[in-house]
Amino acid sequence: MEINIAGLKKYYSEKIILDINYLCIEKGTVTGLIGPNGSGKTTLLKIISGLDKDFIGTIKYDSELLNEDIYKKMTLVTQKPYLFRRKAYENIEYPLKIRETDKRIRKQKVEEIMKRFEIGDLRDKKGHLLSGGESQKVSLARALVFEPELLLLDEPTSNIDPESMKIMEREILRFNKEIKGTVLIVTHNIEQARRVCNNIIHLECGKVVY
Amino acid sequence: MVIDIDYIIEGFKEAIQLLIGFDREIYGIVFLSLFVSTSATIISSLICIPFGIHLGIKNFKGKKAFSRLLYTFMSIPSVVVGLVVAIMLSRRGPLGTFDLMYTPKAMIIAQALLVTPLILGLTYSLSKNRGKEIEKVGTTLGANKFDIIILIIKELKVDLMVNVVTSFSRAISEVGAVMIVGGNIKNRTRVMTTTISMMNSMGDYSMAIALGLVLLIISFIINSVIYSYSGED
Ligand SMILES: Nc1ncnc2c1ncn2[C@@H]1O[C@H](COP(=O)(O)OP(=O)(O)OP(=O)(O)O)[C@@H](O)[C@H]1O
Ligand SMILES: [Mg+2]
Repeated sequence: MEINIAGLKKYYSEKIILDINYLCIEKGTVTGLIGPNGSGKTTLLKIISGLDKDFIGTIKYDSELLNEDIYKKMTLVTQKPYLFRRKAYENIEYPLKIRETDKRIRKQKVEEIMKRFEIGDLRDKKGHLLSGGESQKVSLARALVFEPELLLLDEPTSNIDPESMKIMEREILRFNKEIKGTVLIVTHNIEQARRVCNNIIHLECGKVVY
Repeated sequence: MVIDIDYIIEGFKEAIQLLIGFDREIYGIVFLSLFVSTSATIISSLICIPFGIHLGIKNFKGKKAFSRLLYTFMSIPSVVVGLVVAIMLSRRGPLGTFDLMYTPKAMIIAQALLVTPLILGLTYSLSKNRGKEIEKVGTTLGANKFDIIILIIKELKVDLMVNVVTSFSRAISEVGAVMIVGGNIKNRTRVMTTTISMMNSMGDYSMAIALGLVLLIISFIINSVIYSYSGED
């Protein structure tokens, strides 16, 4: 899959927040999205993921315009992730459950991803009681468990310690290499962008600057 | 003026005797009250909770006006509901052929209607404040509309439970609606509140006191349930 954005404009009460003539996110890449606070990064992710459908312009996923079926193939991990008031294990299991994945496979997948993220100790902790960093880890695991085609990440490691940061970056790259998933990641950490991204988009005042 | 306190004490004594003697009539009345109000609350909840959640997260024209209207209906007087239901169910009314007037069914309908704005309003306002965020997460993880309603119910289950129990207390303690559509017929449609108000006007206090005590105990249990639930997290 490939994302093609053309003539995108987004307004918040008269004020223009995003103004992108043309932008392509290529299949199989890890693209970094960087820019100062308020430059429109979160807004762009919300639009691509379908949380915000109020915009002007066209966004195509391969040759198709965004629609409900396509939204199901991607996922967004937000800046401050919301975890369900149930065990961390059940949080991660949720996307598989609504896809009616077989129980045995479900268990296997959740166990495997928890092991890779080294969050086995969080297993029975209630989602809403986790710390900021723990929530980010669990929510990234929850997003990766169903192997989406496109992964949208909004500062996924802002509360993460160096050791866990390594694990998360490793898992993002593994998703890209092994599952051939495409990643669009917002980050303020230039070092991180260098480590994980193939290319970088700079956003300033809603415009792409190269 | 000399206050004669004896008849009050006498009333209490007899009330306790009725209760510990498992007086058939009293327990029949208590059972019918519980049956009518529980049925009404469950029926209304099954419809209003999913619907209220849906309305809460949906953006539609006139949402503000709708909220105000709904909140107004939350405090609708029970006699008004009783009157409306009675008009509908009476022999000459549109639903007269079903012959439901003065039956427990009519009482269930009236109480279900009475608590409907309450459950709908409470659910709606809960969902309006806290449902959007849950909806967003569900959507990004691929949930469809139905999955999202289920997800929100599960996330807000403690608060929803408190709302349902609050609505049940309103149902079991109201007198106007069941009096009008039930008619307070002995052994058929007599519930705690209608009996208390009748016994009181007849000056027969022992039964009224006994039922008053039962109502108090029920409220106490309900409140304990609410507290233990909301203290859960
Ligand atoms: N719901 C809203 N109503 C009005 N303005 C909004 C709304 N959401 C965002 N904005 C404005 O849009 C602009 C872009 O916001 P956005 O959240 O996309 O920035 P960002 O690049 O993600 O910033 P940060 O790095 O701080 O996360 C900001 O000026 C913000 O104030
Ligand atoms: Mg942002």
